[in-house]
Amino acid sequence: MVLIHENEDQVFHNDDDDDNDNGRFCINDNLDLLIEVLQRVDGRSLGSAACVCRQWCSIVRNDSLWEHLCFRHVSPPPVGVRPVVSALGGYRRLYMVCVRPVLSRLKRRRIGGGGGESEVVRRVWNQHEVELSLSLFCVEYYERLLVGGGRGAAAAGDSPASSLKFLCKPVNV
Amino acid sequence: MGPHDSSISAAAGSTSSSSSACSTSTKPPQPPDQMDHLLAGAGYKVRSNDLHQVAERLQRLETVMVKSSPVEISELVNDAVHYNPTDLASWVDSLLTELNTNPPLSVPVPTDLSDPNAFPANINMYANHAPQVHGEFSQQVVAPFEEDVSIQLVHVLMTCAEAVQRGDLSLAGLLIDDLQALLGRVNSGCGIGKVGSFFVDALSRRIVNSPENAVHADLSAYENEILYHHYYEACPYLKFAHFTANQAILEAFDGQDCVHVIDFNLMQGLQWPALIQALALRPGGPPLLRLTGIGPPSPDGRDSLREIGLKLAELARSVNVRFAFRGVAASRLDDVKPWMLQVSPKEAIAVNSIMQLHRLLGPNSSRGPPIDLVLDWIRDLNPRILMVVEQESNHNQPEFLDRFTEALYYYSTMFDSLDVCTAQPEKALAELYIQREICNVVCCEGPVRVERHEPLVRWRDRLINAGFAPLHLGSNAFKQARMLLTLFSAEGYSVEENEGCLTLGWHSRPLIAASAWQAIPKPSTTIGPINHP
Repeated sequence: MVLIHENEDQVFHNDDDDDNDNGRFCINDNLDLLIEVLQRVDGRSLGSAACVCRQWCSIVRNDSLWEHLCFRHVSPPPVGVRPVVSALGGYRRLYMVCVRPVLSRLKRRRIGGGGGESEVVRRVWNQHEVELSLSLFCVEYYERLLVGGGRGAAAAGDSPASSLKFLCKPVNV
Repeated sequence: MGPHDSSISAAAGSTSSSSSACSTSTKPPQPPDQMDHLLAGAGYKVRSNDLHQVAERLQRLETVMVKSSPVEISELVNDAVHYNPTDLASWVDSLLTELNTNPPLSVPVPTDLSDPNAFPANINMYANHAPQVHGEFSQQVVAPFEEDVSIQLVHVLMTCAEAVQRGDLSLAGLLIDDLQALLGRVNSGCGIGKVGSFFVDALSRRIVNSPENAVHADLSAYENEILYHHYYEACPYLKFAHFTANQAILEAFDGQDCVHVIDFNLMQGLQWPALIQALALRPGGPPLLRLTGIGPPSPDGRDSLREIGLKLAELARSVNVRFAFRGVAASRLDDVKPWMLQVSPKEAIAVNSIMQLHRLLGPNSSRGPPIDLVLDWIRDLNPRILMVVEQESNHNQPEFLDRFTEALYYYSTMFDSLDVCTAQPEKALAELYIQREICNVVCCEGPVRVERHEPLVRWRDRLINAGFAPLHLGSNAFKQARMLLTLFSAEGYSVEENEGCLTLGWHSRPLIAASAWQAIPKPSTTIGPINHP
């Protein structure tokens, strides 16, 4: 797990910085760097990052970061998926509702013991697992449509519709 | 009631578990020294008063075999001399001796825990099937007392069903009272207690109402959909059906630009979002998708089919798939005429039947057997794929007792698998859904009995005779099914491939089978003589 230095007073000696801030480096002035860093962290860290400050929160809510997280380790990377996922609720929701529970369930099944969240990220998925997660995500979207009338895609909260509850239950081995 | 009470309490007190002895004038009591007639029907000769010991020794044999090494087992196979398995008691004893266990005790083994979850293992032993040693089952030994009660429960259930088959309703009624008493002594929250209570309920309904007129609290279509939805969520059978069917349909539609899916039972359309999404993502872009959903007419003026169609259309629009929906309201599948489906010749057709074809196996209508009529017009449509998913069991035998026994075995396995689901209210409503099936199999006769499940081998014959050729479900479907199961929180499910068909089961007992078929075009027939003017 990559540690994020949340302490904004971190001092780097950076002679190239032409800020008039006495040469101190502030990550918030280099958002492209921040995004580069956030593209490499795991889901839990992304969630923590969103709690740092309002600026970080708005950056983290950018769906492309979550897209990276979902499909970073997919081999080969899926094509054409983005419009579909966006229509069904976005990558952040996909991660929270489908990808994270599916990966941890599959991982736990493989090695028969809990790995930490970070180990879950490093696992490479295959095409079938991606397709299955997307299908489950689509069923979940549809169930919200059935329940919520016209407000399907904009349903508040991250709690999944009932068909995915089985993913949330602890594994009963 | 006197003679019955004494026979049951006598059975409970002694080591004999033959509680099927009943002293009425219509049936002579079964002497304890006689061979148990139920097991004799399966080809095993066991004395009734040996039953309990044999049961306990079989359980010990299972424990020992699980614990022993493969070397010992193979020695057993190669070197030992075995008794004829028909003589069950001696056979078990010989195996136990070979495996160097203690000589069989004459007293029941003292137990440290009495786990009601072990009851279904007893059902499996006594429900007319050869006692298989399931190595992966739990090795818990059930307390002799509770084991006695569950064995008695099954015996009395069988006796009652037999009485019903003979038409001896007064005896059956008395036995129902005994069954209620037995149920009171068993844990009815799980295992045999729960399944048993549903079957007792069904039997008592059958005794009270005439089977041809059986109407049990008919649910509205809406309530039925709710039960179905919870059954979908509580256990993986429907999900397996939907995902396997979708995968096969997707592969059949490869390269087609206009596709038409005909769903024999739309319900809430839970199968189709995944197909729509898969079509949206297929390389080359999505085709034009038409969906025709068949369902029962809605009584209160709501057009529920159309509402589902609208929701599916909304989903399709979000993912940019051109979509058209049509609803066909019909209370029976053989009321549907092909012209209602408005099939166009240049589209690829898929017919999807999830647990619907068995409803057509009822008595013939005026036009002939309904199943043949429907299979005939399906063949006329010339679909690229006919997807058939059915329960893997034989609940359509002509004799009531055979049906009853098979259903007891099947549904107790299914309830076993449902026991691991912890989500409420999904589990309770799923059980209610299954209970309605049980009631239909047990209580109804004639056209009202629609749950006429038949096993895969019979469907294969039937479909081949109707002019369909089997399509192999590919490895993708198999992998997807396996993956789906690893997501479910229980280790007991198993997916197997059976000559190109997939079955999902619980602990190696298949419960639901999915198969794919392709229509063989009919040979063109010459039209009759042309009249010249």
